[in-house]
Amino acid sequence: MLEEYSRFIDEGSLLELQKVAERLRGVKVLHVNSTKLGGGVAEILYRMVPLMNELGIETHWEVIKGDLDFFKVTKKIHNLLHLPGEEKLNHEDVITYMKYTYQNVSYIDTDPFDVIFIHDPQPLGLIVKKKRGQKWIWRCHIDVSTPDEETWKFLEMFVNGYDASIFHIPEFVREGVSIPAFVIPPSIDPLHDKNRELKEDYVHHVFNKFGIDPEKPIVLQVSRFDRLKDPIGVIEAYRIVRRRYECQLVLAGSFASDDPEGEEVYREVLEVKGDDPDVFVLNLPPNSHMEINALQRAATVVVQKSIREGFGLVVSEAMWKGKPVIGSNIGGIRRQIINGVTGYLINSIEGTAFRIKQLLADEKRREEMGRNAHERVKHSFLITRHLKDYLLLVSSLIDGG
Amino acid sequence: MTQFAFRSELWTAQYTGIKANTLASFARALKEVDDDTIYYHLYRNLFEYHFLPTDYGNSFAYWLAENGFPVLAEKFSALDLLECVCIADMRERMLDILRSDIDGIEKICKPFYFIRAVRRTIDLGIRARNLEEFREGIGKVGIHSLFYHLVTSRLYHGEPTNDFSRWLREIGEEEKAEEIDRLDLMAYSLYEVRNRILKILSES
Repeated sequence: MLEEYSRFIDEGSLLELQKVAERLRGVKVLHVNSTKLGGGVAEILYRMVPLMNELGIETHWEVIKGDLDFFKVTKKIHNLLHLPGEEKLNHEDVITYMKYTYQNVSYIDTDPFDVIFIHDPQPLGLIVKKKRGQKWIWRCHIDVSTPDEETWKFLEMFVNGYDASIFHIPEFVREGVSIPAFVIPPSIDPLHDKNRELKEDYVHHVFNKFGIDPEKPIVLQVSRFDRLKDPIGVIEAYRIVRRRYECQLVLAGSFASDDPEGEEVYREVLEVKGDDPDVFVLNLPPNSHMEINALQRAATVVVQKSIREGFGLVVSEAMWKGKPVIGSNIGGIRRQIINGVTGYLINSIEGTAFRIKQLLADEKRREEMGRNAHERVKHSFLITRHLKDYLLLVSSLIDGG
Repeated sequence: MTQFAFRSELWTAQYTGIKANTLASFARALKEVDDDTIYYHLYRNLFEYHFLPTDYGNSFAYWLAENGFPVLAEKFSALDLLECVCIADMRERMLDILRSDIDGIEKICKPFYFIRAVRRTIDLGIRARNLEEFREGIGKVGIHSLFYHLVTSRLYHGEPTNDFSRWLREIGEEEKAEEIDRLDLMAYSLYEVRNRILKILSES
């Protein structure tokens, strides 16, 4: 599999990976998360685990067990860490979390491993199994800088048992985390259906399927239907642009059947779209990776006007396809876009419209920024870089005793 | 003849827990943080963006520009890492720049997060005993290795010359050593630098 990545990175980078891995021969690694299917963590592990094995590091992947009650609590914990609101973690929630944690303690055998990566808060409590000499790493994929205090206090007792934590960006680190906090951004997989090269025919097929005009410029935002992605703001920006430029707007995303807010936002967006035939609001099934890939490849300009964002890897996905991205000046988006070089960072609807117009008007600028964007992702946001960071971290923890 | 051993330097990033949201707290932190933190923000950023036409050369300069200190940003950006053989000197130069312009020192800015590079040097197992093997090695190693031998190894040796030129001088290739020494590494991407070095090495 590593060979397949050699066309994306140079021979020297592959050699470096092999050399770092050589020092870790004999080390056994376990990754634990909450699902094998769906979501960014599973997508990364799906490739990361075989790649680590191919490099000679015995690596396993386990998924915790839980029923609807448990995952309702962990979803609540996720929300309370990421976006605290009126809701609180109550006594029953804590009991449910602990009950399933102890079931998983029996179910998941961590003893044979030297290094254990625990992804996100759901399996966090497994740390009670830590044995002398093992290195436990908490890989946090969400922003916990301003959590609900009570929820954080509950989790903190687990977090402090780890040897290290990993966050996407330093802004996401909770002040006062007493264990070392490493900064490792997430990555995209160039071989995934989301990102692999597509035949022209397929892109045209997607145009036809949705009735999009291939001759008219396309402004695209890919995101689930969520107010935090500001789809209405994108339509407003598009309307400003349309006063001077012919273009189409595509808002492509999805909402889960058990997400009433997603459906509500979707309906709001449809209402604001009205009868504009150049606005396409596409509610796609969750696994429409190739359709999204085709839309990104066909887009003239890509927008990511989120109000709050985990990391926003969809930005790197578009950049990988050579697209300049206009994204909000927040969190992970500002770590991906270099303003004026690979796209633009914006702070308002008016600013979004201004930058869309600039890019629609200037093909040369689009091409140049698109080239820079592709190179930026190749250098910093591919899974091979992510793999190297994990190996280096493991290596430094083991050498550190 | 001495052989040349190709190495590479890789790093992971560790948040120090130190952040600054005024120029005053930035200056205080700059005094306190360890050398590997200064290294991260100056060198790692040069490496990270070497192939892109960015406005500033390091993340300190970007932060200063973003928060309304364009003159300081320019001065920080102009720090020439090729002349630096000691992080302590670079730290003093930055503090001197900050002392020269203290307007707005307590203005609240977006936070700057100080990150430390956890550095690791690795032996790539490639050796050169003559010019031909040296040329082959340079064509084969990654840009991390080029960056190490051309830029950051100066910090290990405490000399303002790169490893390639040093070795070329040892084998009597003074002219080639001189040409490589003169390359403006801040002006080209490392891919371009590699091509230029290969061209220099191919000239008879």
